[in-house]
Amino acid sequence: MSALPLFRRALADSWRGLLGWGLGLAAVVGLYLPLYPSIGGNPEFLAIIESLPPELVTALSYDQITTGSGYTLGTVYGLLGFVLLTIAAVAWGASAIAGDEERGTLELTLAHGVSRHQIVLERLAAIIVKLVVLAAWVTLLVSAVNGPSELDLSTAGILAGGVALLGTGLLTATIGLAAGAVTGRRMIAIGTGAGVAVLGYALNALGNQNADLEWLHAASPYHWAYGVNPLEAGLEPSVWLLYAVAAVASVVAVLAFRRRDVGV
Amino acid sequence: MTPAIDISALTKRYGRTTALHGVDLAVEPGRVFGVIGPNGAGKTTTMRILLDIIRPTSGTVRVLGEDPRHAGPALRRRIGYLPGELAMDARLSARALLTHYAQLNGSRDTARIETLSERLGLDLSRPVRSLSKGNKQKVGLVQALSHSPDLLVLDEPTSGLDPLVQQEFLRLVREARNAGQTVFLSSHVISEIEQVADEVAVLRDGRIVDVSTVERLRAAALRDIRVTVPATSGAALARRLEQLDAAQDVAVTVDAGREIVSARLRDGIPALLAALAETEVLDLVVQEPDLERAVLQFYGAGSATAEEVPA
Repeated sequence: MSALPLFRRALADSWRGLLGWGLGLAAVVGLYLPLYPSIGGNPEFLAIIESLPPELVTALSYDQITTGSGYTLGTVYGLLGFVLLTIAAVAWGASAIAGDEERGTLELTLAHGVSRHQIVLERLAAIIVKLVVLAAWVTLLVSAVNGPSELDLSTAGILAGGVALLGTGLLTATIGLAAGAVTGRRMIAIGTGAGVAVLGYALNALGNQNADLEWLHAASPYHWAYGVNPLEAGLEPSVWLLYAVAAVASVVAVLAFRRRDVGV
Repeated sequence: MTPAIDISALTKRYGRTTALHGVDLAVEPGRVFGVIGPNGAGKTTTMRILLDIIRPTSGTVRVLGEDPRHAGPALRRRIGYLPGELAMDARLSARALLTHYAQLNGSRDTARIETLSERLGLDLSRPVRSLSKGNKQKVGLVQALSHSPDLLVLDEPTSGLDPLVQQEFLRLVREARNAGQTVFLSSHVISEIEQVADEVAVLRDGRIVDVSTVERLRAAALRDIRVTVPATSGAALARRLEQLDAAQDVAVTVDAGREIVSARLRDGIPALLAALAETEVLDLVVQEPDLERAVLQFYGAGSATAEEVPA
């Protein structure tokens, strides 16, 4: 078997990392969701929430925290799970081209019988597979704790949450990949990918504050994913915006990497 | 016959620095072509352009009759490349990495990987990242040679290799030439170019200073001689040597009752013997012509205007 050698190499090189991120996400799901029965309906906890500044509560989306779907979004999909998946996605996207190039190892790969777009696409495919695995893993874990933790999530809601989470990962991974393909600098790639994620989160939080700032939501990938809670409402059309931008960033990555000098 | 490498008016600029100023070069198939020059002369830049790792600013490049910019992976499968700055940090074993590169070239022949590694003394089972610089260099050589490419582009191939392995490498280069492969190699160690190259280009500051055969370079080179004679006959010998063609640095030193006359001469061995015939010679050392110094004369010319150029 010698089809897609770069894709297989990329997967084989990163299974350890994938395992680590899988464990991290399992810890987030396993530590937070079982606490819901003792928090969600707990009057003391609600009193704490009410004592917080309302701006903070809306920024963290804790205004929905008393429902199972709101709690799951506020802890896993919209917060720690989102953070972990974003870090993994940005790191993978940035290392696929820019990291390899800075280490000096990309030059030798390019000297063999591969094309520039083949390198970008096969490595992108490996990143997609890994992100799908992680999103599916979260979906599986949340389904497993849904009953015992009394979250009362619908299957459609859990699946929609997984699709939204995957979309945020794909978006930041491809933007990191594209920034690396354009510049060849790993730190720029990481900064761009992480910057988009942080900015998206910030725009969403600001837009939540009052009606005058709501227009900021339109520019927030975070809001495209979670502005309407997918765990509650199912799949919203705005989620597909994440996938569309990811597709555009992938095309940019291929075109940019085809035309420039490598390793200078 | 189509040249294996045909470069004309090749220019490469990075921003405001110019790495190559209109290089012209043709390498006939089945030849070993050496490029020598100091660091930053443009050797690596030229090689990277042949592999389409970087793109020329202007000029035309043909490798095995095709333009590397547009020929795609099929052309690179016919080239074996060893980068000058070889970076390898893979966790996987040398065997797995070399098999991976073979797959990129669509080659299933792993027997040659084993043979080459054995000849160079490379342990294929060890993780690449744990290998010494010399052993990494062997991995680099094996990946360049293992698919028996039509053209070998080797940037500083013997760097980090111990002398015995260097000799084995030079044998591999000769075998490649005998098999009809073309070898384009760079070095700043002139002796290795001298041992294998049919032709030599001297590159300095992004320009070809000279293209020559090794014989012609050698003819232009000077050789050091040292003659030990009895006391009091040194001065007379020194005078005779000074009259020889292109004699330099003639000097007499006294050592334990004898005199040692040293000089630097351009070939002319018959003339030297004639000069020595009139003296009693106690000891005589004649060194190989110093190609390095011959080439340094090319570097030296105009070095006052030399500019810093990235490699």
